[in-house]
Amino acid sequence: MGKLSKLLSVRPEVGPAVLLVLLIVIFTSINPKFLSILNISNTLAFTVELGLIALAMTLLMTSGEFDLSVGSVFGLTPVIMWALFNGTDIPLEFAFLFAMAIAICIGLINGWFVTYLKIPSFLVTLGMLLVARGTALYITDGFPQRTWNASDEWLSAVLVGDIQIGALRLYMSLFWFILAAVLLHYTLQKTKFGNWIQASGGNAHAARARGVRVDATKIKLFVLSSALAGFAGIISSIRTSAANPNSGTGYELEVIAMVVIGGTALMGGRGTIVGTVIGIFILRLMRNGIVMIGVPGLAYNIFIGAIILGMMALHSWLDRRNHSGG
Amino acid sequence: MSELLVQMDNVSKSYGPITALGGVNLSVYRGEVVGLLGDNGAGKSTLIKVLSGAVRATGGTISIKGRQVEMNSTTDAIDNGIETIYQDSALVTQLSIARNLFLGREPIKGSKFFGRMDEAKMEAVASELLKEVGISKNIPPTTPISALSGGERQAVAIARAMHFESDLIILDEPTNNLGVAETQGVLQFVRNAKASGHSCIFIAHNIHHVFQVVDRIVVMRRGAIVADDIDPKTTTVDAVERIITGMDS
Repeated sequence: MGKLSKLLSVRPEVGPAVLLVLLIVIFTSINPKFLSILNISNTLAFTVELGLIALAMTLLMTSGEFDLSVGSVFGLTPVIMWALFNGTDIPLEFAFLFAMAIAICIGLINGWFVTYLKIPSFLVTLGMLLVARGTALYITDGFPQRTWNASDEWLSAVLVGDIQIGALRLYMSLFWFILAAVLLHYTLQKTKFGNWIQASGGNAHAARARGVRVDATKIKLFVLSSALAGFAGIISSIRTSAANPNSGTGYELEVIAMVVIGGTALMGGRGTIVGTVIGIFILRLMRNGIVMIGVPGLAYNIFIGAIILGMMALHSWLDRRNHSGG
Repeated sequence: MSELLVQMDNVSKSYGPITALGGVNLSVYRGEVVGLLGDNGAGKSTLIKVLSGAVRATGGTISIKGRQVEMNSTTDAIDNGIETIYQDSALVTQLSIARNLFLGREPIKGSKFFGRMDEAKMEAVASELLKEVGISKNIPPTTPISALSGGERQAVAIARAMHFESDLIILDEPTNNLGVAETQGVLQFVRNAKASGHSCIFIAHNIHHVFQVVDRIVVMRRGAIVADDIDPKTTTVDAVERIITGMDS
């Protein structure tokens, strides 16, 4: 028991990994089609878009902050890009860069309010959630922007082009997700910047006293969060052939749930990209699996809530058991 | 007389109409352990905050090794060889011993662009430092601070100050909330720091702890230094207590 709790404490992603395997076994035993090529292909396509946001959120939450505006930025960024492309003569590449610059500016504003005005990130990003969503609705009059005229663009192929491997269809977005996961895992665990992220969330006062640029670190992470939310929104708009100003509504809470289930501490100081990847798949497989085994889709939130509570209880128990110092 | 390390001349600090420090002069010599005593509100913490760069003085000058310096931030103090160890150790409990030791000064391996930490070097140095500072238990440097006792945490903080060649280590209430054995451990860490040539300013509420390790005692009262050359070998605890409370006059 002692060795198990130590392992779970040192590797917080082990608990979620066991849960993920259990879910796959249970869903597959009830409905063998759960592991069918078609189902895997469909699940992966949507999973990685939310996953990109969750990866950035992991670093931000490890630094002791979080971002409620990601769902709105997910909706606003593609709306800006397609409104610009459809309404003017400018090329898609420029529209893409302009929309991404807006997303980056939103991250900068969030970071500036939190670090320089010392306003809690909960309030700042709640305000930005409304500003971004309101802007998306205002500039579109509430109507989706058409995106099907982008099918011949090389940018579309790079962002969401698909590869057929036998019956399995994989989207380019999976490549972007894997690339982001590898880079951010390396950053968090192996680099000086990663050490500063953990220190900023663990004890910002102590980190500042050692010369760590806590505010600059947090601003960079707010920018990363907004940029990846915008990037994921653009990918989603091309894949679904629509830039809906309401898309991404409620994503912020689902993304935070993915990160927390994976073992990242809600109050900062400890984070794991591997755990978040597992958390992403737990939530997506739950959504997909409960429908496939015949549970009404409306019951989804009951299961997600129960998993969050269970994982919180596990991490809390491990912290108390293994950390003797006081 | 050894080298004059720190000299504070006429240093003052006011918060609006309230004077917390009123023109204080303090000197610390190399290899000297100075005990700073005073009742609550005497100005000890303000003096230490000024010296450690946590707050800016309203007036006066600070010189380090004869050169006048500006202390506008804690990093200014660290750059000038002054490390402060608070009662909560100012460590990040989620990080390992090695990562805490090098926080803010992480050695980089390979290309600077990727900023990869040289963890093998950090852990090797941490192991050596833990032995040097006097931790007898075999604690791996990858252990998170949260798994250490209060005394061990203070030892890590002192080890960090020693490694980065700090000339002056300020210990602000380092024995608060510690048991008897752990307190003795921290006092031994202070003696080890002195033996390796570091100067210390030691602040504690418990006068008996101060008497065990310091070379000289400085007493503050109402924002001023009222005695700065008390020899603990020739003075009693009672006499110092009378100076602290003002019963000597």
